[in-house]
Amino acid sequence: MNRIRAVAIVFLLFVAMAALTAELWVPSSYEVQFRTAFDAAPSKQFPLGTDALGRDRLARLIYGTRVSLLLAPAAAIFSCATAALLGISAGWAGGFAEVSIMSAADLFLSVPWMLSLLMVRAWLPLNVSPVASVAITFALLGALGWAAPARVVRAAAGRLKTSDFILIAEAHGIARWRVLWRHVVPNLMPILLAQFWIAVPVYILAETTLGMLGLGIAEPLPSWGGLLREIEGSDVLSHLWLLAPALLLAAVTGSLQLLRPRQDNPL
Amino acid sequence: MHRIAIHLARIVAIVFLSGVVCALLVQFSPGSNVDERELNPKAGEGSLQALRARKAATVSDGVWRYFRGLSRGDLGYSESNNASIAALIVDRGPATLREIAEGLLGGWLLGLAFAIPAGRFAKASIYDALSAAGAGFLLSLPAALIAYLCLLAGAAPAIILALVVAPRIFQFAKNLLRQAYAAAHVEIARARGIAEPRILFTHILPSAGPQLIALAAASLSIAIGAAIPMEAICDVPGLGRLAWQAATARDLPLLVNLTMLIAIATSSAAALSEILSEQRA
Repeated sequence: MNRIRAVAIVFLLFVAMAALTAELWVPSSYEVQFRTAFDAAPSKQFPLGTDALGRDRLARLIYGTRVSLLLAPAAAIFSCATAALLGISAGWAGGFAEVSIMSAADLFLSVPWMLSLLMVRAWLPLNVSPVASVAITFALLGALGWAAPARVVRAAAGRLKTSDFILIAEAHGIARWRVLWRHVVPNLMPILLAQFWIAVPVYILAETTLGMLGLGIAEPLPSWGGLLREIEGSDVLSHLWLLAPALLLAAVTGSLQLLRPRQDNPL
Repeated sequence: MHRIAIHLARIVAIVFLSGVVCALLVQFSPGSNVDERELNPKAGEGSLQALRARKAATVSDGVWRYFRGLSRGDLGYSESNNASIAALIVDRGPATLREIAEGLLGGWLLGLAFAIPAGRFAKASIYDALSAAGAGFLLSLPAALIAYLCLLAGAAPAIILALVVAPRIFQFAKNLLRQAYAAAHVEIARARGIAEPRILFTHILPSAGPQLIALAAASLSIAIGAAIPMEAICDVPGLGRLAWQAATARDLPLLVNLTMLIAIATSSAAALSEILSEQRA
């Protein structure tokens, strides 16, 4: 199992490096049109062919990978930070604060996530610039993904609150914020890290689904969802190279799932 | 009884909060103060006044109007579909309900069918690795892509939902069944020569029952979430497709009502499974 995890880490590092250094090795940018090569089949110049607008599919795939691989972790950090703030507040304060925060979490969890995403995405303008669409998509994922990790953090914070070392720290008169910052937060870090690794592949898949439904990142910026949208209405069986984004997506999210810390096999 | 009252109160709170959210979203959505119908030169003075009155309404007006309509079974009007929301839900609901029921049934059967041998033969590393890899592969694909690939293969919509639900059931049930199979009373039953099917149905499944029932509500939520991209990709005229169309047309009243309806359904399922699993435990 550890060997498979090592392979997953190497693969993810390779993909991340390839995406981050795209300018150095991808011959054209994602938005450059080759007006003599619309819908071209794979060739030496275009290993994955070109799309209906004559853009290099490989370049779009690499730049799309960069968008997903950079922003899904950013959204996961945002949702984990929100979950930490709310979960610790609920677990530590107890009483009305705990009931309010956990009721809000229950409400969030009672609605399927995809529906919440659709509702809030529809509330925001749909015709926005590509950069704004990236910010909106991943901010939404981060903002709506706090509920499940907050429940986990709240339970752990509640346990820590009554632990011996915290009681001793409080008996020594150490300020509450200092107890929280120096003792509670460091002890919750493994849980937050686990929630982070759970969230990243989920956010990548959610962005892909939103993109395939036409509610994700706007053109001409590439994303895995946008690239996979291209396969709708295409004859994939005779154009197998169109499945390259799907294969890369499955490999990356599968590798990320292997990195999830498990109770029986902690990272 | 006390637990049931708490669950009912939670469902009422969801309805109330959804009403407030509906009014807030509609009132404060970007572009809500612009109505293209006001630019229609053929619009009569009465129509224009009605449109302006609606725009001038406060949030509390909106909430009040919403709940007054709700008490009469009127969920509002969908501008994008040019039909009442209640009629749309009645029209599209059965297709989605049927798919979700079939998908859940298929997903549970498939997930358990793979999980039971994995739980029983914990040392069968090849089977374990292959089944885990298959589940992991399905979990690494978005529901929309699974829907598209199944569409290419000519699979029915319920199969798509089953493929989305099954790996999650498999992963959860496998660990649960493995623990149940490792229990001392199961070893004793096996030593006494009791047949494996009987051990499964009289010892394993009853002991794993409460947790599996708790998973049932979660699997409903997963199936509903997957039904949206599935219906959008496969062109199934159900509630999922309606939600997607409402999102692309920014038809917020329709979308919020669908969300409320689904929140009630999933909360009721969660409450029911919680009560049942408590009773079983």
